[in-house]
Amino acid sequence: MTRKALLISPEICIGCRGCQTACKEWNQLDGVKTSNAGSFENPPDLIPALYNRIRYVEVPTEAEGQRWLFVSQRCMHCGDAGCMKICPAPGALYKTPEGAVAFSKEKCIGCKLCVTACPFDVPRYDKDGKISKCHLCSDRISQGLPPACAKVCPTGAIRYGERDDLIASAKKTGHEKVYGEMDLTGLGALYAFKDAPRLYGMNENPAIPESVIFWNNILKPLSYLGLGGAVALALIHYVAFGPKKNEEVTRDE
Amino acid sequence: MSNMIRKAGPFEIVNHWALAISFFALVLSGFGFLFHLEQMNALFGSFSRMRFIHNWAGVIFMVSLFLTMFTYLPVSLRLGSDDIGWILKAGGYLSKKAVVPPQDIINTGQKLYYLVFLLTGSAISASGLGIWFIAGVKKWVLISHLVHNISFDLLVTIIPLHIYLGTLANPGTFRIMVYGTVPLEWARKRHEKWVRRMGY
Repeated sequence: MTRKALLISPEICIGCRGCQTACKEWNQLDGVKTSNAGSFENPPDLIPALYNRIRYVEVPTEAEGQRWLFVSQRCMHCGDAGCMKICPAPGALYKTPEGAVAFSKEKCIGCKLCVTACPFDVPRYDKDGKISKCHLCSDRISQGLPPACAKVCPTGAIRYGERDDLIASAKKTGHEKVYGEMDLTGLGALYAFKDAPRLYGMNENPAIPESVIFWNNILKPLSYLGLGGAVALALIHYVAFGPKKNEEVTRDE
Repeated sequence: MSNMIRKAGPFEIVNHWALAISFFALVLSGFGFLFHLEQMNALFGSFSRMRFIHNWAGVIFMVSLFLTMFTYLPVSLRLGSDDIGWILKAGGYLSKKAVVPPQDIINTGQKLYYLVFLLTGSAISASGLGIWFIAGVKKWVLISHLVHNISFDLLVTIIPLHIYLGTLANPGTFRIMVYGTVPLEWARKRHEKWVRRMGY
C-alpha cells in the first residue's frame, strides 16, 4: 500500500477547531474543563483527551497590527519514528499499512520512554498510565475513510490522501518547500508553510535525540556482542589453558 | 572436617544469591525489552508484568549491591605491590607454571572486578531509578537511558567472566556460594595472606 498523509495548510485554516471536535467525537475522548488563558487557543497544549489541536500563533506586523496563524498540531507519523525506536514493548506502537503510527493501550507498559524520544513532544499518558495520541484515525483509514479531522475541515486546510499526490499538489500551488517531505524519512503530516517553519512554532530540523540513535545503532548490538564475546573468551580459555586445578597451583615461597 | 576454613558466612552467601538471582531476572527481562523478545512472555507472563518484575528485581539488586560494600569494599581498596605482581603474571591464568604473589581473602582480579562491578552496578541502579521515577522528564531520562544501557553492556560482558572464573576455571570455588567453607590447603594456595592472618 502506498503511504498516506495529511497536508496541512495554515493559510487557509479559519481556526474553527471543527477538527478538534470531530476527533474527540470519533475517538470518544472526554471533554475537559479549561480556563481562559488570554487567547482563543484552547486547550493550551495536547492532553490525553485531545489528539489534535489548533495552535494560535499571533505574529505582529507593521501593516495590520497582527497576523494570525492557525497551525494544526498532532502526531506527525514520522517515517523513522523515535517513539517506536525506543519503545520496549512489542506492538505497543506500530505502523499501519498506510504509514500511520498507531498504538495499542493493551500492549503499552506505561514507561513513557516514547515521550523522551519524540522530536515533536506529542505522546501523552491517560489516567491509566497508557499512551494516548493521534493515530491518524487508523480505524477509519483502514476502511478507506479519511481521518475525522480531515473529513470535517470546511476549508481543506487539513487534507488526507496519497502522500506523493499531496506533496505534488502543494508544490503546484507555489510551496517550494513542503515541511516534512524529507525529515525523519518523511513525515505523515505535511505542512504547506508560506514563511519559515519557525514562525509557525515548528522545529526547523526535527530529529530523534542523538543518544537514542547511538543507543539503537551501537549500544544495542554491543550487548549481544559483549555477552557472546565473554562466553567465547571463557570457552577459549578453558580449551587453551584449562582450569586452575588445585594440585597445579604453586605457592610463592 | 577439621581441615576446612570458613571463607564466607551465611549473610554473604544469601546476599550473593539475592544479587545473582535478581541479576538473572534483570538481564533476561532487559534483553526482552531491548530486542522485543516475545518469548519472554513464557517466563514473565506479559511485558507489563515483566516491567513490574524488572523494576522490583532492580530494587533487590540495589539493596544487595549496597550490602556487598560491607564484605568486599575495604579489602578491594587495599591494593599493593602484590597486586601489581598478580597483574603482571595475569593471575596465573595464562600459564600453568606462573607463580603469583600471595593473595588476600580475595585476589587482585576479584578486587578489580568488585570495584568495576560496584561502579557499573551503582550506575545501572541510579539510572534505572531515573527511568522509573522521573519518566517523561526528557533530558534526564535520556541521560539515564544512555547510562542504563552502557552499564548493561558492561555488566553482560563482565558477569559471564565472573561466573566462569568462579566455577569452571577454578574447581572448588563454587562451594563457597553453597557452604561458605573451603579446604585449608586450597585456601593456602590461593589466599595465603588471609590464611596466615587467620592464624593458620
